[in-house]
Amino acid sequence: MTDRTGAVYDLGYEPFEGERSGRRGARKAVYFDGIRRVLGLRRKARRKIMPFLLLFVALVPPIVAVGVGFLLPAGSADGIDLAGQNADFFALSGTIAMLFTALAAPELLIPDRKDGVLSMLASRPLTPGDYLGTRFASLATVVGSFMILPQLLLFFGQAGTDPEGLFQGFINAADTLPKILAVAGVYTIAYVPLGFVVASLSNRKSIATASYLAVMIALTAFAEAIVQGSNIAGGRWVALLTPINTADAANIWIFGGSNPDSLLAAADIHPAFGIVALVVFGSALSLFALHRYRRLM
Amino acid sequence: MTSSAFTTATLGHAYGNVAALHSLDFEVPRGRTGLVGANGAGKSTLIMILLGILTPTTGSATVLGMDTHRETIDIRSVVGYMPEGPCLPLDQTAADFLVYAAGTAGLPKRAARQRASDVLTLVGLNEERFRYLGDFSTGMKQRAKLAQAIVHDPELVFLDEPTAGLDPSGREEMLDLIERLGGFGINVVVSSHVLRDIERTCDWVVMLDNGTLLHTGPIGEQQSEGSVLLETIDDPEPVARALTNAGASITARGRTLEISVAEGDVYDTVRDAVVHAGASIRRLDGTGGTLEDMFLQHGERR
Repeated sequence: MTDRTGAVYDLGYEPFEGERSGRRGARKAVYFDGIRRVLGLRRKARRKIMPFLLLFVALVPPIVAVGVGFLLPAGSADGIDLAGQNADFFALSGTIAMLFTALAAPELLIPDRKDGVLSMLASRPLTPGDYLGTRFASLATVVGSFMILPQLLLFFGQAGTDPEGLFQGFINAADTLPKILAVAGVYTIAYVPLGFVVASLSNRKSIATASYLAVMIALTAFAEAIVQGSNIAGGRWVALLTPINTADAANIWIFGGSNPDSLLAAADIHPAFGIVALVVFGSALSLFALHRYRRLM
Repeated sequence: MTSSAFTTATLGHAYGNVAALHSLDFEVPRGRTGLVGANGAGKSTLIMILLGILTPTTGSATVLGMDTHRETIDIRSVVGYMPEGPCLPLDQTAADFLVYAAGTAGLPKRAARQRASDVLTLVGLNEERFRYLGDFSTGMKQRAKLAQAIVHDPELVFLDEPTAGLDPSGREEMLDLIERLGGFGINVVVSSHVLRDIERTCDWVVMLDNGTLLHTGPIGEQQSEGSVLLETIDDPEPVARALTNAGASITARGRTLEISVAEGDVYDTVRDAVVHAGASIRRLDGTGGTLEDMFLQHGERR
């Protein structure tokens, strides 16, 4: 026999008496949830495969280029000059960012509607604009990272292989940094709003992904047919309808180059107009998505 | 601090040409309130308006003293909502979702983690916290839905059909949890068409029928008025005679008597008559115990 006795303690209910950050905290929570969601973090392993595979594909070419750049510096025979390759790498990572958007935009919006999470969020200190805006910011952060990370590798590669030394290399390459941010912004505004609109109209992720890519390709084919294959008066402005060509042309222009074979060049439209058109279309598409969500939240 | 959980003033709402709520005018005190009505009575529409999700077509409403139209964000900072339909992301674990749900209510990260753990324990899901919500049973999902509604320690929580789809034991557990919420200082509004659930968990009732207010008042008032059914083991005649002498009206169906009194508490009258007759009883139950009976009573009075 033992005289020890047990006791069961009811911990009861502890009310929360700390400070609530309200709308700001709610937006922050939705933003970070969005980043975790599109990258598959805190989800099953298979949900991580596509995002990280695409990130890997986006990073391998600049890693190889920088590696080769160190082995064969610009001044040597058969040397590679990393400076001036930003636009080419942006064209590649832009394509990957479009594929990523095709997968990630439905992932961000559709499960919340399909699983009914929106009804929970509708009871939180959030407006439909807060919700869509923070989801947009989540996707823009990751899409931007897809494009900026390879460029940062190039930046460090350029600085590291600069014949004038590392420090001077950073100074010499510094002028590319604002251009990198500008081009990443152009691709983001070109790809993300349309992805959101398509995702807001579909209840199946696979259909939304396929529809988004189909719309992108169809817009390009339509614009090329009108601009290059018809004599419709004012038809050249249709070139602005294709986000892929417009973003690519803006990319080359921002880095100081020109592409006479681009659709915008064929339509005799300056890439700066293309950027304005992307901002206008992106804003209009965002307003449409917001209108949809005002009826849901 | 206002003493009312919510109020409505000539509140109306229409979906296009279809009117869902007609000029509701009432006040509900803090505590546990049952919102009763058949499907389509306007319960969910009323909750949507109180949460600021729907804008009333006419009139206005306040929640905890705040206007639902002008102070929507402030209201949403201090209320919780358990919708009737699904609201759980199936690809997240219970713990992750609860931390997220607390974060969306403005709780700091550390507090959100602590609250998520505490509330999962409270609703009996602590052992399941690292399981994906998609793998949960219906009963576990209902408890997770309740957990997200209270994880941020709201002042008032709206529970829309919280026992829908639950088996009897799951129903009992859910009702126990709802009863306990009052003890935590959380005001509760339970929407249901099962009056017994409301009787058990609430102390105030709001009855809606086709978007109009049928009745609102304390639950005790509902139970003490009306008539009761008494079933005796032996011959009911002595009890019936004692009841008649006490001024009660009786309708006999075999050994079951339906008893009503014009004045006083019907249960007191029956108790005295049973004692006086020395009868043994099998059952004593209110006839106003079902939603249909109460609708009939209040519908006839309108």
